[in-house]
Amino acid sequence: MAVSVYSYLFLGLVLFLIGLAGSVLTKNVIKVLISIEFMLLGVNINFVTFAVFCDSVNLDGCILTLFYTGLGAVELAVALYLFYLMFRKKQSDDIGKYTEL
Amino acid sequence: MIDNPVIFYSAAFMIIAFALAALFSRNVIYSLLASVCVFFLGALFFYILGSEYNAIIQAAIYGLAVPVILGISIMFRGKYGQKQKNEQRKFTVPYIMLMCAGIFCLAFVYLVMISLVMLPDTFNFTGMPEISAYDNILAFAKGIFINYVWAFELVSLLLTIVIAGFSMFRKRGA
Repeated sequence: MAVSVYSYLFLGLVLFLIGLAGSVLTKNVIKVLISIEFMLLGVNINFVTFAVFCDSVNLDGCILTLFYTGLGAVELAVALYLFYLMFRKKQSDDIGKYTEL
Repeated sequence: MIDNPVIFYSAAFMIIAFALAALFSRNVIYSLLASVCVFFLGALFFYILGSEYNAIIQAAIYGLAVPVILGISIMFRGKYGQKQKNEQRKFTVPYIMLMCAGIFCLAFVYLVMISLVMLPDTFNFTGMPEISAYDNILAFAKGIFINYVWAFELVSLLLTIVIAGFSMFRKRGA
């Protein structure tokens, strides 16, 4: 029995939804950033799945995944620097208090 | 490329369990450790799918580099290990209904798209196609240096700008 494409896509969907729920429901800014990375991981799994099952010659989805991995790391670094600035000002990691920079 | 249902389903169960643990753990350090497991399992899925290059990048960046940054940001808070009180937002009925409706809409659109609309002729639903390692690297090299060379250069420029920006902020003492 082989693993079908639906299993991979469903896994990507579940990861995306977990990340979405976490980014909306949690108040800790570090957990929000982790949740955003989960969403990105779900999207990347779907990209690679489509690349392998649908476009196994050019593998465009894998290359897009490579770019998004780099961009995700950049986004995380910038967001954590903003968190550093905000934390020095507010002395709290509650995202509800970060209303102004 | 591994096409084994036992490995896939056990890894899928573990990645979902670790993702939920990362979200619902009260201690941020435990969340960070669970998220590291999620990132490594994501690399495993890339490897299972036959994209070893993405698996290495995922493990190197998200498994090693990103947790270091997150750990530093947790440590400078000065109260790591302390349980966060009142961490979850208050659940109200309209809020939960809105969330459920959004999730169902997203799942519905997703399933319709993958089942009806976005079906190219060459789509292979059941079996995983065989991709040799040489073809994989060849496709990556063609994609990065020929087809998507501008995007590749743009991402490189963006990374350079971020590094330069950080050193500028550091010099200014921000």
